[in-house]
Amino acid sequence: MDSITLTADLVALAKISAFVTAAAELTGLDERATWQVQLAVDEAATNVIQHAYDPDHPGDLTLTWRCEGNRFIVALRDYGRQFDPQHVPPPDLNSPLEERQVGGLGLYLITRLMDEVRFDFNPQGGNLLTMVKYLTTGPRDDVAILPLTGRVDAVTAPQVNREVHAQIGAGARFVLLDLAGVTFLSSSGLRALLLIRKELMTLGGELRLTGLQPQVYEVFTLTGFTQVFAIHATVDEARTSFGLKHA
Amino acid sequence: MEIEHRRFNRVDMLVVSGRIDAATSPQLKQRIEALFETGRYRIVFDFAQLAYVSSPGLRVLIEARKKARDWKITDLEGGDIRLANLPPRIKEVFDLTGFTSLFELYSDTVTAVGSF
Repeated sequence: MDSITLTADLVALAKISAFVTAAAELTGLDERATWQVQLAVDEAATNVIQHAYDPDHPGDLTLTWRCEGNRFIVALRDYGRQFDPQHVPPPDLNSPLEERQVGGLGLYLITRLMDEVRFDFNPQGGNLLTMVKYLTTGPRDDVAILPLTGRVDAVTAPQVNREVHAQIGAGARFVLLDLAGVTFLSSSGLRALLLIRKELMTLGGELRLTGLQPQVYEVFTLTGFTQVFAIHATVDEARTSFGLKHA
Repeated sequence: MEIEHRRFNRVDMLVVSGRIDAATSPQLKQRIEALFETGRYRIVFDFAQLAYVSSPGLRVLIEARKKARDWKITDLEGGDIRLANLPPRIKEVFDLTGFTSLFELYSDTVTAVGSF
């Protein structure tokens, strides 16, 4: 789970768009599904920005996302006036130009682009709009083993990221990095592994490491990161530790 | 969002790139109004580089078209807003909202400009 809180003004739109696009891409939504999510969230955020608060005193807007199985869930919360979707006029999709009304298009797009849409309100929590997009490929429930070789440093970290993200995009959630072939790990490399670990946890998954050569293990002990990462002596031991049925 | 303007003899062309959303649509509206104010009511939009449009953008376009068509040079000839080079995603938003039937759409700007 990850979230962002911004003041509900127009400047927030670009940030919200970037945030949710990155989340959708990380989760493995394809290009079209990512665009659909981006547009739905933009319309929802626009509604909050334009209607929730007094324009001179905009309050906050919080966007949260998480992944549960094959459901990509986005929630938008504001503390402004209560929003009742029943009060929004149904969209006019057919009238000729001169008579065409443009109200209700934003809400209509949200319901067409997302697979599930729910509006909740209570006086303490404010408005909560929950939207779900289904992933076409369900997440894998087995361990994806990725061998790394050579140096893991500032130069090679982008390539490592690409490889892991490709696995995530194909559904991997439980990733074991086999570092048996890694001869050198710098702090940049460590940072990259830390980020991958965080991303997998945000998706409800896990990162484990195995095969660390002594000089690589030493980087972890020196920086205290043996406390943070799950490091295993063998691939089999790591596999079992995931605790999965099909590890 | 960036808007590039090209002036032809009878028609003006606006090349829009980037995003038309709630934040940028006022700027688009202003640009169109600026042309209307100088008596120019025939506009072609080149959307080849348009990455994204949301409902506030659609609202600006439909209101502009209504206003352009209201302006008549003679009883036979009037203003209009015509659209060219819609990328697939933009076309999809138009289809979803029933906007495809509200505009004349062209697959290239030469034909669009020549249609006036």
